[in-house]
Amino acid sequence: MKIFMARLKHANRVSYLSLWILAVLYALAILADCLAPYPYEQQNRQYALCPPTVPSVIKDGKIHRPFVYGIDIVNPAFKEYSRDTAKIYPVVFFTKGPARKILGLFPSERYLFGAPGGKIFLFGTDLHGRDVFSRILYGARISLSIGIIGVSISFILGLLIGGISGYFGGKTDAVLMRLVEIIMMFPFFYLMLALRAAFPPNLSSIQVYLLIVVILSLIGWASLARIIRGMVLSLKEEEYVLAARSLGISSFRIITRHILPNTLSYTITALTLSVPGYILGESALSLLGLGIQEPHASWGNMLSVTIGNLRILTGAPWMLIPGFFIFITVISFNFLGDGIRNVVDPKNW
Amino acid sequence: MENTLEIKGLEVSVKTEGNSVRILGGINLEIERNESVALVGESGSGKTMTAMSVMQLLPKNISADRGEILLQGRNILAMNEKELREMRGTAAGMIFQEPSSYLNPLFTVGSQIAEAVKEEKGNRKEKVMRILKDVELKSSAYYQYPHQLSGGMQQRVMIAMALINNPALLIADEPTTALDATTAYGIIELLKKMMAKYGLSVLFITHDISLAASFAKRIGVMYAGRLVEISDAGKIIDKPLHPYAERLIDCLPERYNKGERIKTIEGSVPDFKKLPRGCPFQPRCSYKKEVCTQKEPGEMNVEGRIVRCFRYGNLSENG
Repeated sequence: MKIFMARLKHANRVSYLSLWILAVLYALAILADCLAPYPYEQQNRQYALCPPTVPSVIKDGKIHRPFVYGIDIVNPAFKEYSRDTAKIYPVVFFTKGPARKILGLFPSERYLFGAPGGKIFLFGTDLHGRDVFSRILYGARISLSIGIIGVSISFILGLLIGGISGYFGGKTDAVLMRLVEIIMMFPFFYLMLALRAAFPPNLSSIQVYLLIVVILSLIGWASLARIIRGMVLSLKEEEYVLAARSLGISSFRIITRHILPNTLSYTITALTLSVPGYILGESALSLLGLGIQEPHASWGNMLSVTIGNLRILTGAPWMLIPGFFIFITVISFNFLGDGIRNVVDPKNW
Repeated sequence: MENTLEIKGLEVSVKTEGNSVRILGGINLEIERNESVALVGESGSGKTMTAMSVMQLLPKNISADRGEILLQGRNILAMNEKELREMRGTAAGMIFQEPSSYLNPLFTVGSQIAEAVKEEKGNRKEKVMRILKDVELKSSAYYQYPHQLSGGMQQRVMIAMALINNPALLIADEPTTALDATTAYGIIELLKKMMAKYGLSVLFITHDISLAASFAKRIGVMYAGRLVEISDAGKIIDKPLHPYAERLIDCLPERYNKGERIKTIEGSVPDFKKLPRGCPFQPRCSYKKEVCTQKEPGEMNVEGRIVRCFRYGNLSENG
């Protein structure tokens, strides 16, 4: 692993940076309970669509301990707010708030930071007055894990089915490839909708989450399997495959150890490139009310509120911040994939 | 002594869209325990096909039609896929011409040799280290990737992989063709040592008859899918029986003085789809008789040597 990191750093600095960005994002997701100043479902109805209140350290030209200004509600109907410079609330660490369980295990009333008496909305609030920053942290859990888990399932399926199909050929190949074509025949989006619609709408959020992962990966494996099959068709003629056969190594082992690893440079790029597809797939389902349900947060369903709502787009641009996180995640995965491809290819050492 | 390998009347053909072309016609060959036999012949004469038949690694459209291949007394042609897998590596191992492409570039040498180990129990790494020492590689090679090794070292790794399960037979398919002369010599010496150490039998395939003579006890000359002569290595060099063997030995450069023009065999190996009538070598043969164009010669035993030519024995016997 250490060697891997060193090589990645050496091969491509941007992808090395991307790795760290992703590591930070995943750490934020895991530590969401500890870092978020508010529970993700806590509503502050009177502060709906409130702009970000960023802590400052300078008051009347003097350095002051970090504080936030108060918020004046100018017009609640049109969600107009102004900064009340007369009221200041210092930022306090390990402040008290509503009780919740950290990682679902440890009950706690303490929050890492907060502004008792005032409101600290780092990224503003949404339509229901929920803190966007906190929701992004919680949403990261769903958005980032859905990509990883979904991609893992569909890649295991795609690699194995593609590998078996290409290696054995003949009838096995014909049957598996027709199956792939049937899946690919349907437009991705409608197939996704149809599969989701086949299940009852009133599922618990954990069920919905698992369902989305399974649906996305059941669709996703097909195209990969076809490409892998093509690569296996040529790789199985490689001489080291013949050598492995001459040593009496089993077909399964030859596929998994001698053939599939040689598709890695392609697979890893495809893998990292398809993570974003899963994040976006989840948000597309959420947009249509079939994905992760409110009040649970995912980057997709946070962003979906903004689609088709011009007032939010122009008046509350902070609502687009989840999109920025999706963008950062997607581009980091792409750069990372590029870097890993360089590193895993022994020719580049 | 029990024979490690016995090939009896092996006939192999390629099937292409309804057509069937015979590429091996009636191969008979025995290899005793700890004996080395070389197969020589031009490209396309069926040397590699014979080897691949023993390993049963023939392409899908090529299969044995008739005959038996007995490896340690068991008929390979009657084995199912599982038994074949068991046989490969433990009863017979194989090394190839171009070692670099026969090693998986993605894994270290050590892990590739360890993968070949069939025994479940025991320390794999220890076993690999021992065989690395046997093939005269440093133990540091264990952690190296194939591209970090030279061609000769790669071939040693191949030998280590092929021999790690102590097979009775090693098939070496032109193991030195891709190597330079000194490296090739090292590999030949290593194979000899391995034979002595493990009581190994070797089927050595090459197109270089002098290399074959320096390594093998007996030499089989192949032409157009037939074993035209099998003799002791010394005898075949001194006094070849079959006209083709004679012409092959005539081509050896060391038999000529400086500046002298080396003789060649006129014509080329016949196309398997339209083999000449009678003896396949007859169009290129200078001893051609009437009978040669009529029918194919059978195997003749001349002073313990096997030859397929009408020049020997009487005709009725040969028919």
